[in-house]
Amino acid sequence: MNYRYIALTGVIGAALWIAGALAERGAFRDETATETSAASAVAPNVTAFVGVRVFDGARAIPGANVIVADGRIAAMGPDAEVPKGARRVDGAGRTLLPGLIDAHTHVFGDALERALQFGVTTELDMFTDHRFATAMRREQEAGDVPTRADLRSAGTLVTAPGGHGTEYGVSIPTITSPEQAQAFVDARLAEGSDYIKIVYDDGSVYGLQWPTIDRETLAAVVEAAHARDRLALVHMGSQRAARDAIEAGADGLVHVFADSAPEPELVELIAKRRAFVIPTLSVNQSVTGVASGATLPEDAHVAPYLTATEIENLKRAFPTHRGSKARAAHAFDAVRRLNAAGVAILAGTDAPNPGTAHGASVHRELELLVEAGLTPIQALAAATAVPARIFALADRGRIAPGLRADLLLVDSDPTSNIAATRAIVGIWKGGVEVTRQKPSRATTDGGRRRVDARGRVSDFDDGTTRARFGLGWSASTDQMMGGTSTAEMKVVRGGARGTAHALEVIGTVRDGAQFPWAGAIFFPGGRPMEGVNLSAFTELRFWARGDGGTYLVMVFAERFGMVPVEVPFEAGVDWREHVIPFSTFQGLDGRGVRGILFSARPGPDRFAFQIDDVQFR
Amino acid sequence: MTRTSVLATSALARPRRSRLAICALEAWYEFVKTLRLPAYTIPTLSFPAMFYVIFGLGLGVSRPVGETDAATYFVATYGTFGVMGAALFGFGVGVAIERGQGWLLLKRATPMPVTAYFFAKVVMTLLFGTAIVLMLSMLGVVAGGVRLSLGSWLALGSATVFGAMPSCALGLAIGYLAGPNSAVPLVNLIYLPVAFASGLWLPIQFLPTWLQEAAVILPPYHHSQLALAAIGADRGGPIWGHVLVLVGSTGVFLGAAYLAYLRDEGKTYG
Repeated sequence: MNYRYIALTGVIGAALWIAGALAERGAFRDETATETSAASAVAPNVTAFVGVRVFDGARAIPGANVIVADGRIAAMGPDAEVPKGARRVDGAGRTLLPGLIDAHTHVFGDALERALQFGVTTELDMFTDHRFATAMRREQEAGDVPTRADLRSAGTLVTAPGGHGTEYGVSIPTITSPEQAQAFVDARLAEGSDYIKIVYDDGSVYGLQWPTIDRETLAAVVEAAHARDRLALVHMGSQRAARDAIEAGADGLVHVFADSAPEPELVELIAKRRAFVIPTLSVNQSVTGVASGATLPEDAHVAPYLTATEIENLKRAFPTHRGSKARAAHAFDAVRRLNAAGVAILAGTDAPNPGTAHGASVHRELELLVEAGLTPIQALAAATAVPARIFALADRGRIAPGLRADLLLVDSDPTSNIAATRAIVGIWKGGVEVTRQKPSRATTDGGRRRVDARGRVSDFDDGTTRARFGLGWSASTDQMMGGTSTAEMKVVRGGARGTAHALEVIGTVRDGAQFPWAGAIFFPGGRPMEGVNLSAFTELRFWARGDGGTYLVMVFAERFGMVPVEVPFEAGVDWREHVIPFSTFQGLDGRGVRGILFSARPGPDRFAFQIDDVQFR
Repeated sequence: MTRTSVLATSALARPRRSRLAICALEAWYEFVKTLRLPAYTIPTLSFPAMFYVIFGLGLGVSRPVGETDAATYFVATYGTFGVMGAALFGFGVGVAIERGQGWLLLKRATPMPVTAYFFAKVVMTLLFGTAIVLMLSMLGVVAGGVRLSLGSWLALGSATVFGAMPSCALGLAIGYLAGPNSAVPLVNLIYLPVAFASGLWLPIQFLPTWLQEAAVILPPYHHSQLALAAIGADRGGPIWGHVLVLVGSTGVFLGAAYLAYLRDEGKTYG
């Protein structure tokens, strides 16, 4: 062979080798660059968006330069000078938007991280554990948090005993009379609430019956909030309730009424009082049994960034009830008329309710707002400048010198085609570029793992916490929701009926979290909280013993949403078998079972119980 | 006997069909020979398994590595480690020893095409590589609760086995450069540190940052990233980048091997 061919092979090989290594290094560099800036909070260098269409919060400006330095917007305009050494981001054919603001969410767990992955840089929460909100706020104030959206929160909502908001299984303070209003509001502000959210809804719109506060209490709470210079926001579902709220002086409605065709006088009243509306069309649609988010997992721009749980939730709708008056058409009609009357409309998703996901759903809500008659520019303003103005977020919501560099760069032009907000090129929060991650979903096929034909779950006799199907057992506490309860789980000798082993759970449930719990959970699916069809069985059987306390079996199922249905059982000194028909769990038919949690109840002492021979029959 | 009749009956005038048969036969003998060489078989098969049991299973199967559990993650990295070793030792030490014994010389004197010799080694490496991957996969499934879709298993297996191309080529170069006694230490001197720096022992994320950055130049790093990509645990670099490095470095090593081969031919026959 000629040496020339060898040399050629060597040179081409070396070139390919180096090219591949550089490609990897490039990808890897991006990753570490964000990590280091996240870790050390070093002031980011200057970034320049060059020749980009800018939506500044009110209008589209073609061919502008936006200069970002030290996490703030330094200059913006067609003539803004690009400093030497700036990191240049090509803006040709792209649009730069202010980071999006979702004006109606419920924030817990990793909601804020998930929101940021889709360009939502601020979430306005409308009811969560105030301790969680306080923790988030504290970190936010200590320094910029470049890995998750910023939070403003209503903390604990204002509702009647047994009213909407209390059904999540935990005691929250409630209100019964106007006299309590000021003290109640002051207590919320002491907990850190940024604004006051009031539930004024008897459930009748959805065919349900909920206790609710009366008109006088509503008015008193609104007044109490105003006395402290805070916004009073009202959850309602009907036009009558909306009228009461606006007449009581409410600043805004956090949903839109959908019980009947909108009355012109009500629309006029809202416009005259300069109240605003966060329609949450996403849930208006889901509440009528149509999963509003079902199209998102089919969108090639969105799908790769969704987690499996989010996809599942996006495809779900609320269960509908007989006698429901809610119609999506009324909601769309109301938004159309409100917008025409000049009422400020804000984009809110009510994530993570059925049919929604934090972050992704804002893009769907924008689309729905355009369907309801907003222009794309109005819709974009509804998710940027308008909520920033109304919630007094003076440092964000627009692209202007001096404001936070919370930015979203997308391909093409959402000011003419709203769906373009999904074609995300890059996300910056406080000037720091966000690394988008594609959650890995390809690693397990556990979801198809077969349910044991005889319904056996675990007898623990192999000395492990493994189960015959599903993910097996894990300790579970309210720590994931900001609580402080603890639980330890281990397999111990001495099972029921003389068998070798049983599962022991020891811990403490501290009252204080929104939903206090601690115990052991069995996931029947291949992923945590994946629904599995157990309708071949009709009852849950298990043996239990313990410290004599009363414990709870909690069943999570798709039709219950995120709220489990619980049944108590006694764990005495001696082993005893418990047989609980599925129907005891609010008529559960065995379909879509996500998890079975054996939990202790709140109490001052450590709890200890053992379970064995868990099976479905 | 006349000169013509010798040519007519010898393998030199063999019909084309039998070249395949020669290759297959040579591959079979290579396989049988290797199987009977415990010095190769035992370390090649047992080291990856041992490491996998210690690190993949021993440290807790459900311990997370990034978004994947340890049991699944280490099937990919120790699989890569094992297949890489099979290739380096099979080629590097195999060729060096056979050269030293004069076995190659003897083979060159037979009418067997020289390609059959290399073909046999490649087949043998693929077989051992497949055996290593199967062994780790079975360990993972049985003892580590590893569950993958069929597609992921196939992608993982083929990435792990075929990603060993550069290691085969490098082994070949070493085999022609090193003497029969120096080949083993030389291969180990390259194999073990490079495997470590490529994240085959400990996940790459656990290494110091400078090493993580330097690793992108190492072909085994890309080999393991391809395998990890099959289970969604790679670092997110483009697949084509890995393929470029593997193909490119194979080319470079083959070029080096050919130079070494010419040098060797010069020494032996020149």
